[in-house]
Amino acid sequence: MKKKYALFTGCMMSTEQYSYELSVRESLPVLEIELVDLEGFSCCGEPMKSVNQLLMLYLSARNLAIAEKNALPIFAPCAMCHLALSECKHILENNKELKDRINGMLSAEDLNYTGSVDIVHTVDLLHDIVGLEEIKKHVKKPLTGLKFATHYGCHLIRPSEIGRPVNSENPLKMEEILRILGAEPVNYYPEKLDCCGGILQINLPESALTKTGQKLKAIQEYGFNGLVDVCPWCHRMYDAKQVKAGETVATKLEVPVFYLTQLLGLAFGIEKEKLGLDLNLSPVDKIVLKEASG
Amino acid sequence: MHRVGVFVCHCGINIAQNVDVEALTEYASTLDGVVVSKNYKYMCSDVGATLIKDMIKQHKLDAVVVASCSPRMHEHTFREVVSDGGINPYRLEMANIREHCSWAHSDKQQATEKAKSLIRSAVAKAKLLESLTPSKIPVTPNALVIGGGIAGIQASLDLANDGFKVYLVEQEPTIGGRMAQLDKTFPTLDCSSCILTPKMMEVANHSNIELLTYSEVVGLEGSIGNYKVKIKKKPRYIDIEKCTGCGDCAANCRLKNRIDSEFDMGMGKRGAAYMPFPQAVPLKYTIDAKHCLFLTRGKCGDKPACKEACLQNAINFDQKEEIIEVKVGAIVVTTGYDLLDPTSMYEYGYANSPDVITTLELERLISSSGPTKGEILRPSDKQKPKSVTFILCVGSRDETQCSWCCRIGCMSVLKHVYLLREKLGEDLEINICYTDIRSYGKGYEEFYRKIRGLKTNMFRGRPSEVRDMKTYQKIDVFDTTTNKLFEIKTDMIVLVPALVPRKNSSELARLLRLTLSGDGFLLEAHPKLRPVDTFVNGIFIAGCCQGPKDIQDTVSQASGAASKAANILSKKELEIDPLITTVDEEVCTGCGICVEVCPYEARELNEKKKVARVIEALCMGCGACISACPSNASIHKNFTKKQLLNMVDDIV
Repeated sequence: MKKKYALFTGCMMSTEQYSYELSVRESLPVLEIELVDLEGFSCCGEPMKSVNQLLMLYLSARNLAIAEKNALPIFAPCAMCHLALSECKHILENNKELKDRINGMLSAEDLNYTGSVDIVHTVDLLHDIVGLEEIKKHVKKPLTGLKFATHYGCHLIRPSEIGRPVNSENPLKMEEILRILGAEPVNYYPEKLDCCGGILQINLPESALTKTGQKLKAIQEYGFNGLVDVCPWCHRMYDAKQVKAGETVATKLEVPVFYLTQLLGLAFGIEKEKLGLDLNLSPVDKIVLKEASG
Repeated sequence: MHRVGVFVCHCGINIAQNVDVEALTEYASTLDGVVVSKNYKYMCSDVGATLIKDMIKQHKLDAVVVASCSPRMHEHTFREVVSDGGINPYRLEMANIREHCSWAHSDKQQATEKAKSLIRSAVAKAKLLESLTPSKIPVTPNALVIGGGIAGIQASLDLANDGFKVYLVEQEPTIGGRMAQLDKTFPTLDCSSCILTPKMMEVANHSNIELLTYSEVVGLEGSIGNYKVKIKKKPRYIDIEKCTGCGDCAANCRLKNRIDSEFDMGMGKRGAAYMPFPQAVPLKYTIDAKHCLFLTRGKCGDKPACKEACLQNAINFDQKEEIIEVKVGAIVVTTGYDLLDPTSMYEYGYANSPDVITTLELERLISSSGPTKGEILRPSDKQKPKSVTFILCVGSRDETQCSWCCRIGCMSVLKHVYLLREKLGEDLEINICYTDIRSYGKGYEEFYRKIRGLKTNMFRGRPSEVRDMKTYQKIDVFDTTTNKLFEIKTDMIVLVPALVPRKNSSELARLLRLTLSGDGFLLEAHPKLRPVDTFVNGIFIAGCCQGPKDIQDTVSQASGAASKAANILSKKELEIDPLITTVDEEVCTGCGICVEVCPYEARELNEKKKVARVIEALCMGCGACISACPSNASIHKNFTKKQLLNMVDDIV
């Protein structure tokens, strides 16, 4: 049965991480997921969190109210947007006064927030809602023999008390999806839960790149074929900043970095151009070419 | 005509400060049926008691009202006074003008008015009080002890030495419990089995103790003084009368060294025919039905190898489970603890690497009778570690796991530091990640000081992550004494997990009608003043089933519980509190609702007469049946509807 979701792209996907959006729009419809673009979506609010929490809540609630008006659940492929929207829902669920205040502000646009909208991310949409069995049915070109490391990113795993799509200490859903696609992910490697560094970028760029570099270096040393992620912020660090990160840790890094949805698309037999693979700055060709030939 | 005496207590200034006791006394004397009223500074003192007794005689009182503290405090005292004075002790009513009045209010005038009401209603009830006599039941002078660890062993020996017959039930094939798994004990470093084994032998040889190993309690009926207990004897498939403990069955078992040994916490292996450890009591073998090839598949080679090997012909695969019933007067529960399984706490890496072990696993490595014969070898490569790191409070004092302190972790680690230094020498690096070092017992702080001198790196903090680097483990820990983040590289990690109730403890609690506290351990009747009693009369608890504690505390508590049980068993007859319920058979319709609501199973239906009956020995007088009875046939003695309504009528 076809499922409809309002696609919440957020700022990163629509301004620089196009490949995530492209691969999401290409690969999910194969699984009978219809993505709807709603008019009026704005920033998720997360970047204002440290400056003005009310503003953050207002922006999140506004986006949720737009989805509510259209009676659609929200699909936020960006882990940060997913966190902002989920946190807003959690806070307003437990604070009626604040909810009334926000609704007062929303009434200017004729919007109303009740909290009825479901919010999903790529990982739980694929793993819990579509299901591994369903994904398996569509695999045409299994990713045989590819050993992947996964990176979940902090926004996806914490804080667990507001409800996150994966277990905070031992997340395994991506591995299970990759296994269904025919790949050979490894459930544990020592640096699996390490930070991408992205969050330090503005204040401590050197430290940020060191974090990025250290993790990529370890992945390269362990002999993984590539790294898979599901957050545009993490992806920017591992993919776009890989060369710089390598310089910071004095190593030549050549780790192919993919969005999970790009690998999903490849396994479904979608052409690589449609999945935005030519936009990845890390050496993904190592694998894509191998795929094409194999 | 009623002749009630009212006695108002000042309780020093506790009552007198906020209630006008003189006015109260004068007021009481004006009440209908009151012939005398007096006040005194401390009514519970000898002088106060004498005053009450004198007044009873002088005014020929038939009921007494004492206006003082809560009945929980002194009802018992005043009952005795009234009884000494020559009237039935149940013709006493207390008006609580302290907790319910003087302590709760600040306006003296209003408090005095309230106290007047309280006295008025107490007098109203006192006039209707009935004389009650406690009934008596005979006592079976036997005891049941559940759990054969050090607590159960101590309680059994104490009771047996007092001359009582003891049934000691243990679910494992041997007694000894957790203490048998330990190598040394803190802070004296006594060899654990050297001090335990003689006690185990004493249990085995004591003529008053009937040892029921590999057995479980499956049913309980009756009440204090007269319990009927059903015990399931699991089949050992070895006739223990014939078994000499020679070990030929185990040596020939086809699964020898193939099954994880529970006693060795999985660090060592055993066969399907096994004895948990060489000093087991009884010194008999057991065949594990879960693994035995013959019992699981019906085939073990041509013939079961153990059966071939046994010269005594002791192996009997036809043995069946057996249920026996024993009668006891009192029960001591000493079922011990489990360690929290750290597998689900991924940050500590127990799930990832064999080189992350728990304290009990380390105990088995250190023990000279353990799987490595006392050599400390890293599980992954069987090499001696050059660096060992202890992580304390794994799951303990942690809101997300167990909020409580395990009370033995710190001391057990200090002990291990000493033993590791002794076995692996000066060059071994030892790190401890701790929260606080709690060395509260006798000689413990001194032991801690001694260990601190043994070149130990102390990090005050809980590691955020343990990374399995295959050849070594990497720990991230933020030390809160220096405010620095440390990265520790170590060969082996020892986790000190929280102590949790035994897996089947809630099942046992249900069976024995015991209450669990929020943490899942068995609940004592009062944390300070009745620490070994439970809410079920005649059942006592001791050791870690009540909450985490060390061996010292466990043994003291076991002796305490045993002497409490002996108090009951040493009596020929027991008095039953008469403040319980009864049934008006004329009114009872036999609907059975009271049988269902009674939490103590003190109600039964007389099918023939179609009326409910109260089993007096079981009734706790809680009153659940009173409110549930649709036809008002349930009566609580001296809390009758008439008495209570009279109290209400008089104050409203």
